[in-house]
Amino acid sequence: MALYKVILKPIDKFMGMRRLFPILLLLLVFVACRNNNNTAGQRPKIAVVVSTLNNPWFVFLAQTAAARVKELGYEPRIFDSQNNTALETDHFDDAIASGYKAILFNPTDANGSVVNVNKAKAAGVPVFCMDREVNSPAPTSQILSDSYSGCVELGKLFVKTLHQKGTYVELLGLVADNNTWNRSKGFHSVVDEYPGLKMVAQQSADFDRNKAMDVMQSVLQAHPDIDAVFCGNDAMAMGAYQALVAAGKANKVKVLGFDGAEDAVQAIKDGKILATAMQFPKIMAQTAANDADEYIKGKRDFPAKIPVAVEMVTPSNVNEYIAYGKKN
Amino acid sequence: MNKAFKYGLWLVVLVLLAFKSVYFKKLSDVKKTDAGAFRPDAYAQNFWKTKLPAAEAKAVDIDQLLATLKNNPHSAFQTYGHVIAIGSTRFFMVKGHGKVTDVTPDEVILNTAGSAPVQLATTYVFGNAVRDASGMVQITEFSNTIDLSNVSGEIDKIIRKEVLPPFKQAVKKGDNVDFIGAIALNEAHLNLSNLEIIPVNLKLQK
Repeated sequence: MALYKVILKPIDKFMGMRRLFPILLLLLVFVACRNNNNTAGQRPKIAVVVSTLNNPWFVFLAQTAAARVKELGYEPRIFDSQNNTALETDHFDDAIASGYKAILFNPTDANGSVVNVNKAKAAGVPVFCMDREVNSPAPTSQILSDSYSGCVELGKLFVKTLHQKGTYVELLGLVADNNTWNRSKGFHSVVDEYPGLKMVAQQSADFDRNKAMDVMQSVLQAHPDIDAVFCGNDAMAMGAYQALVAAGKANKVKVLGFDGAEDAVQAIKDGKILATAMQFPKIMAQTAANDADEYIKGKRDFPAKIPVAVEMVTPSNVNEYIAYGKKN
Repeated sequence: MNKAFKYGLWLVVLVLLAFKSVYFKKLSDVKKTDAGAFRPDAYAQNFWKTKLPAAEAKAVDIDQLLATLKNNPHSAFQTYGHVIAIGSTRFFMVKGHGKVTDVTPDEVILNTAGSAPVQLATTYVFGNAVRDASGMVQITEFSNTIDLSNVSGEIDKIIRKEVLPPFKQAVKKGDNVDFIGAIALNEAHLNLSNLEIIPVNLKLQK
């Protein structure tokens, strides 16, 4: 009996406890989860879904949006769609299921991304588009660069610089993106008024620097005597410039870009590129974050589209600008 | 007999299929449907006739604007400037009187009554200056931004086709000009030299 009390009873007790271990473990996990939920409850989450993080311009857009979201007291998370609408759909599903309060959205495809916005709207999650447009009234608001007007200004400079005559090439961005066509249409709304200016090739290089270099190399084989290249973004302008350097034509051919990316601003300073149109991703990102905050706090009347002005950067005013915005 | 019935039935099915697959519509009906789409040229004509005169009546005197811009630029931007897009550029509807000091292929240079040199654009009339400076066009009127941009393009076309040709043909150095037009100024990079006016109303006094 004494032996039982001293040795066997504690062992029996311990064995009984062992049976309780799985239950205790589950309880521990449950408590931990509850604690996490409590943390999330204190800081509501806002998703930043961006078309690609493979381009520094979009990295800046996403990080600025996330920083503003954090400043406003929310928990931001950046989702990279890698220019893939299927992946973008997964991100939306994730954000909706995880209880995100709003989505700051840089869409991959003006039409293909509509289904994702509709899904969020149906779930009561407001979507604020940044920089890129979707062809739908479903987003709560779309904050977009005035690409068309920016390219009207570039078109004016283009015509003046070429003295209304010459041959040129146009490199388009992603054909499914509205910005591609808004930029092209703005440019042509001016340039097409001058019959002395002839476009010898118009090809897409998907807003990609390497693709632009490849496209430009093959275009130069067919049209070696062009006077200018108009590119739908700065990455393509830099790629086109590289191809022109390789062909020994960089000094003769004028290159124009769009975005206000760091390397393009430097290239204008160095006399390699004629001009770009400076976008203001900071303004777009911060406006989207502020609007999301106001929506969460109860505001509902937002303009469907909010254009953000772009400014032309040329050798004459390049010292007033830095990448992604104005010099302070 | 059975065979004939069978072929007859097939024929009926084929005719029905063909009938249901093709339909005809009057061209006038199709045109009517297109007429429901936004027409920037019609909007611009309406703007020119019904909205612009009110904006012209409110135009600020160019010399007065320049004086305010020198003394209190922010107040001048807030009081007289209009804009649709977010940004530091604003557009102003201005009026004034000046003497022609030079005529180039692209512009007419004037000295205003207050001795400010300004340029009347006579070739490169493109952009949003007139649309925005009027303060009469609201973004909420448009469902997409391309329509809004096309309105600017159509307004500029009216200026290039109707306002400028008779003026360019007649203007000479030494002439006096009464003008109303739009200018763009960037508050963050304010530059009051080489002011370019997009004219909407020009009166030449020989």
